[in-house]
Amino acid sequence: MTSRREFLVQTGAMTGGLIIGFNLPAAKAKAAEPPPAANAKVYPPNAFIQIDKDSKVNIVINKCEMGQGVFTSMSQLIAEELDCDWSRVVPVAAPVDPIYNHTMFSTIQMTGGSTALNSSYDQYRQIGATARAMLIQAASAKWQVEASSLKTDKGFVTHPSKGRIAYGELAEDANKLEMPKNVPVKDAKNFKLIGKSMPRLDAHDKSYGKAVYGIDVRLPDMVRVMVVRPPMFGATLKSFDASEAKKTAGVLDVIRFGNKVAVVAKNSWAARKGRDAVKAEWNTSGREKISSASIIEGFKKDAATPNLHPKANPDAIKETAADAKALVAEYEFPYLAHASMEPLNCTVNFDGKTAELWSGHQMPTVDRDTAAKIFGLDPSKVKVNSVYAGGSFGRRASKDSDYVREACEIAKVLKKPMQLLFSREDDMKGGYYRPMAYHHARISTDAKGYPTAWHHKIVSPSIMAGGAFAAMMSGGADPTVTEGVTESAYELGKQQVDLQMPTNDIPTLWFRSVGHTHTGFVMETLIDELAHRAKANPIDFRRPMLKKSSRHLAVLDLLKKNTPLGQGKKPKKGHAYGVAIHESFNTVVGQVVEASLVDGVPRVHHVWAAAHCGRVVNPEGARTQIAGGIAFGMSMSLYGNIEIENGEVTTTNFDKYQVVRMNEMPKIDVFFVPSEDKPTGLGEPGVPPLGAALANAIFSLTGKRVRKLPIALEVAKQQQAST
Amino acid sequence: MELNINGKAVKVDASEDTPLLWVIRDELNMTGTKYGCGISMCGACTVHLNGQPIRSCVTPASAAAGQKITTIEGLDSHAAKAVQEAWTTLSVPQCGYCQSGQIMAATALLTQNKKPSDSDIDAAMSGNICRCGTYNEIRSAIHKAAQKMVKA
Ligand code: FES
Ligand code: FES
Repeated sequence: MTSRREFLVQTGAMTGGLIIGFNLPAAKAKAAEPPPAANAKVYPPNAFIQIDKDSKVNIVINKCEMGQGVFTSMSQLIAEELDCDWSRVVPVAAPVDPIYNHTMFSTIQMTGGSTALNSSYDQYRQIGATARAMLIQAASAKWQVEASSLKTDKGFVTHPSKGRIAYGELAEDANKLEMPKNVPVKDAKNFKLIGKSMPRLDAHDKSYGKAVYGIDVRLPDMVRVMVVRPPMFGATLKSFDASEAKKTAGVLDVIRFGNKVAVVAKNSWAARKGRDAVKAEWNTSGREKISSASIIEGFKKDAATPNLHPKANPDAIKETAADAKALVAEYEFPYLAHASMEPLNCTVNFDGKTAELWSGHQMPTVDRDTAAKIFGLDPSKVKVNSVYAGGSFGRRASKDSDYVREACEIAKVLKKPMQLLFSREDDMKGGYYRPMAYHHARISTDAKGYPTAWHHKIVSPSIMAGGAFAAMMSGGADPTVTEGVTESAYELGKQQVDLQMPTNDIPTLWFRSVGHTHTGFVMETLIDELAHRAKANPIDFRRPMLKKSSRHLAVLDLLKKNTPLGQGKKPKKGHAYGVAIHESFNTVVGQVVEASLVDGVPRVHHVWAAAHCGRVVNPEGARTQIAGGIAFGMSMSLYGNIEIENGEVTTTNFDKYQVVRMNEMPKIDVFFVPSEDKPTGLGEPGVPPLGAALANAIFSLTGKRVRKLPIALEVAKQQQAST
Repeated sequence: MELNINGKAVKVDASEDTPLLWVIRDELNMTGTKYGCGISMCGACTVHLNGQPIRSCVTPASAAAGQKITTIEGLDSHAAKAVQEAWTTLSVPQCGYCQSGQIMAATALLTQNKKPSDSDIDAAMSGNICRCGTYNEIRSAIHKAAQKMVKA
């Protein structure tokens, strides 16, 4: 196991000479011990903070920086309490160690579920406060004054008559002190950093080409590897001919592993050319009959006899079935690929005795343990380096470490530094998609148009099954398939939710906002239909249905006050407004969209968003997470479609997998509900409302409901049908 | 073949058809220029060839021989400084993976057009995908850089 000193030297976080920092003996021993009890409240500061002689402060971040801004926002939490000089703060990615385990999912270190700030808010502040107390204690001993007479300011301990002393000069003494317990954290009214838009600490390196992502890792004598994978999910390798591949300049080796073939080369281009030259024969066993269309047909059949009932109320079925005027709607959602800008990759150095991995890891513990198993090593012999992830959106939280596994299987044979590269096509064709989904809803209403009974069926493959979180499934039902429907904040009357989770060979995975990607769309377009039937303003209509949730109401208030739809203004000719509000990951986000059709293609002009996410730690960071979520939600709902035809994925690159670009980006205004609550998630909750708000606006334009995604394709079909 | 990258002549050992991108990344180990799609659809690999933004993933290195290649590592023009400063102060990058390409495109735009309008920005920047959705921040940063260049 790498010592923390080695870790710091290797990460280059500490340069030159002596590392002082808080190497508290007791704390150090603790950090090296087996996992602390779940939710341990005492964290040795030296595992999270190192202060060098010159008062540079390293803050160790136990979450993967993949764009969401944790290097900055989590540093703010510690720096706030530590009272250090912000300009001397350097965020450092944590190695794998139980001390860095997630405070809620306490058996692993992980980034996901929009939990970073929520799960670190108390922990990181407590660590900062403890370290500050130790520095004060060191100064008090040095100056022989009462600790209570000391204050701190921007990296100095100060005293009315003794003057000031830099943290760097106290670090060594502080090191030797016993760690105090239960140090109080600041009263929020004294916050200097939390609540401020501190500029991103990674912005400079990312603007000068200096940030190192997984794909940028360079090791001496490192070979590049690309892989021939089955053309259809579940197909098996019959035979292959590598003679042409081996003739390719730069190709070093061709290795079969399981149902795949690895081409090892001196550089990426040779690996790519060699890989493309491998001729392989596959057993496809009838899989060529599978297509997106055949899968959804199967889902529709399953919907007739769903076998799981996450919410049961037979009266809801009775009432809606007997109601001839019930609102009936069915929805279809395609497969979606995360398509983060950095294609998947993993660098591994396995020498037979130890192994080292480099990648953007959302679940580094799971990846490490997978690697250890493959290499037959004790996990302590596997070092995982978390580098910047060039986006992830859930893809680098692989439930079975798929690409890390592949890299390790090849590295085990090679026993030399290697980098596994995915081409964009490999990445997009590779599965681990947001699964297809089918919804069927039947809703009865009262005279005012409000639901009295709601019968909802969902058919979609499980995401959790077979992965690290399978234990969270209750009664066989995967909550990530029904979230947003089963725990809706709306009063829906009697509710029955039926579920079927068909299985097939196509791997599924969480995708930015997970089940809410489809449940949010369905719920919010249905509510809009009810509002329309009731001839009500869609913002006002929602209010009584949400009366039990003050957070939803606060968001509606902001939408009412700050948007033209809320103000009852008429849109420009040819434009329309649409609204949606959805809670996900304990954050409520409402959005009003102004849209039009330009040559029949939906166009989003302006989005007003309101969010209730507790205390906002970094307003600008929070705003850009919502803005990014809007762009992501637009790409996903307007265009997103991984098409399977004749068994093969035919959407393989950005030519077909269209995403929003600069010329389509709407104006965005974001409003936050002022709140003193603990921060809740923001990485994902900006995504779900967008598609629904847009579909609702399109209904105002065309008079037709969009219930089949992607929106742009469906709108084009509807227009064709009507001409 | 011999290439002129960031003002330096470098000899590289690569087959004629190797895209410039992979020569830069693998032979020269300059990793600021990124691979995103390999088919000229995303702009992550944007470098300058004689000051013009090009897609290095589809440009054979041999076609760039004898011409001036600039990568993110070699940017030092007046426009580039204004752009990179604006990017940093406005905290434009999220994951940051697309940003080298965005900055190369923005720098080329501002070199040719000192005061780009929003539609000029749309035209120059729409070839560059950002999955994190930083487009509005990129737009603001370009305007900010343009203002800064006027003042300087
Ligand atoms: S990698 Fe060259 S345009 Fe995408
Ligand atoms: S900042 Fe992540 S892709 Fe642009």
